[in-house]
Amino acid sequence: MSIMSYNGGSVVAMVGKNCVAIASDLRLGSQALTVATDFQKIFPVTDRIFLGLPGLATDVLTLKERFRFRVNMYTIKEEREIEPETFAHLVSSTLYERRFGPYFVEPVIAGLGKDNKPFIAATDLIGCLTLPKDFAVSGTASDKMFGVAEGLWEPDLEPEDLFETISQTLMNAVDRDAYSGWGAIVHVITPDKVITRTLKSRMD
Amino acid sequence: MECSFGLVGKGYTLIASDTNSARSIVKMKNDEDKIKVLTPHLCMAYSGEAGDTVQFAEYVERNLRLHQIRHYTELRPPSSAAWIRRVLADSLRSRKPYQVNLLLGGYDTSDDTPHLYWIDYLGTMAKVPFAAHGYGAYFALSTLDRYHDPTADLEQGLETLKRCIEEVQKRLIVGLPKWNVKIIDQDGVRELEI
Amino acid sequence: MSPSAQAPIRHDFNPYTENGGTILAIAGADFAVIAGDTRQSEGYNIQTRYAPKVFRLTDKAVLAVNGFAADGNMFVKKVKQRLEWYRHAHAKDMPLHAIARLIQTMLYAKRFFPYYVYNILGGIEEDGTGAVYSFDPVGSYEREACRAAGAAQSLVQPFLDNQIYFKNQQAAPGSPHPAHLPLNQVLALVTDSFTSATERHIEVGDGLEIYIVLAKGRNSNELESLKGVAEVTTASEAIATGERLFVLRRELKKD
Repeated sequence: MSIMSYNGGSVVAMVGKNCVAIASDLRLGSQALTVATDFQKIFPVTDRIFLGLPGLATDVLTLKERFRFRVNMYTIKEEREIEPETFAHLVSSTLYERRFGPYFVEPVIAGLGKDNKPFIAATDLIGCLTLPKDFAVSGTASDKMFGVAEGLWEPDLEPEDLFETISQTLMNAVDRDAYSGWGAIVHVITPDKVITRTLKSRMD
Repeated sequence: MECSFGLVGKGYTLIASDTNSARSIVKMKNDEDKIKVLTPHLCMAYSGEAGDTVQFAEYVERNLRLHQIRHYTELRPPSSAAWIRRVLADSLRSRKPYQVNLLLGGYDTSDDTPHLYWIDYLGTMAKVPFAAHGYGAYFALSTLDRYHDPTADLEQGLETLKRCIEEVQKRLIVGLPKWNVKIIDQDGVRELEI
Repeated sequence: MSPSAQAPIRHDFNPYTENGGTILAIAGADFAVIAGDTRQSEGYNIQTRYAPKVFRLTDKAVLAVNGFAADGNMFVKKVKQRLEWYRHAHAKDMPLHAIARLIQTMLYAKRFFPYYVYNILGGIEEDGTGAVYSFDPVGSYEREACRAAGAAQSLVQPFLDNQIYFKNQQAAPGSPHPAHLPLNQVLALVTDSFTSATERHIEVGDGLEIYIVLAKGRNSNELESLKGVAEVTTASEAIATGERLFVLRRELKKD
């Protein structure tokens, strides 16, 4: 029984042409028992940054509040919105504070920076940052998502094509994972709007 | 072998819990009320480690009362749930965590909506249309998947709840003869006979 | 203390290891493709960059074995032996569905000390259709259109679900999804699957061996134009009349 897969759940983020996308499943389980099918794992940080938190659900809820607090404090003190790079380091240092008694989540960050530069990042549960240029995966279906994303993703996808790519990656991966699935949600962040869609997928 | 169920209907939330109090293999009591009325429109079914349960329930009860005294207003169900969750989440990383699982049923009088929250001892919380804790969850959730209707009136809601209890009584190896049922609606909390 | 007074030291012997790698097979309407990488590893060590995991059984049957290499090689040897005996007794090659059942009984015969191998059998059925049979280590099997197994199964299988079975894809009105893909598309998917697996899995890489079995009388035009294809059909008369067997070798990243 692993803590990381006690509740299940998966998140993926991808880079496109002047856009980024982040998607997750909606299952909340208690090991093999499904408790809820509308459990959000992706949270808006600013209008242009989203944070995905797959892992132990209690820490998902605690951390989303904790990041809301820390980002609000940043915004008030700095009198400006936080940049994705800065937020990624905020996530990293927040997790590393608990180096020897960690929060059991592996966050994924997606956002648009200055000049609408796409940014994605992922960390492990103690805050070790990775900054991929293509896609980032995390959660109980991460190995499956690696396989599908590596096959489907290509550079410079337009928002609609990026939406299709990330949706197909997530759905086909979670359909092979007993701990993820039961619906999905996708956010595509473009320079002028965020497109949010919930996907109709297999419900088993 | 404790069991509790909850479901949301049209304008009400129902919560049911068995009434057993057991130590090891010995049944100490069969009329224990394991659903605490926290505020006039909020109640909480609790189960888990003996000792922790009542201690935690009373701690929550007095803190919500303190909030009412200080602010001349009750916390609404979502805020109460968030606070209770946080107590459990913080407790989880303490020297001795509370081992208490909860179903929180409430009725928000300011926008007339019924609420039900599933919370476990880790501090995991989900707002749900129906929920169960204990071994009963493995039987009742499939019954609820089939019969639950969020627009059902009280009569239909109670019918569904009875189906769950009957399913558990039929299939669980331990008999749970007596059940405590509470309804939370615009008129507050009442106990129901089933 | 004298040595005889010491408690006896117990040494555990583990008869199994895991040698990495991945195999994959896809059935077409009148062909079958069976592929595997050629890396063999133990832990973080690469034992060899060329250890075949895909084997010709007959001109119409190819077996891919993955898991514990020693068991795999032994198992293939024994299957080949049984097929040879069959040829001596019946003066013909064993049909594919019969090989599948033979493999089941051979695996189950060692139910309580199993061959630690996942098998995928591909080839041409007696009715001329392409077929893939996949097995678990104790002989449960199933005929399928495609299957991945081994270290990168979790990476490749969901990709195949999407690209072969068109899972999570809605067909355009009036043009349903095809039941079988053409050979060139299947070969492209196999190479893509292995390059993806090589990219993200440390136990996959070095080389790729793709066996292609063509049904009786099927033209081999698509294969002629490809680089690195070799025909390995054994029976000389089969080239004109029977199933034909080809191997396609590709390099994979070695890091």
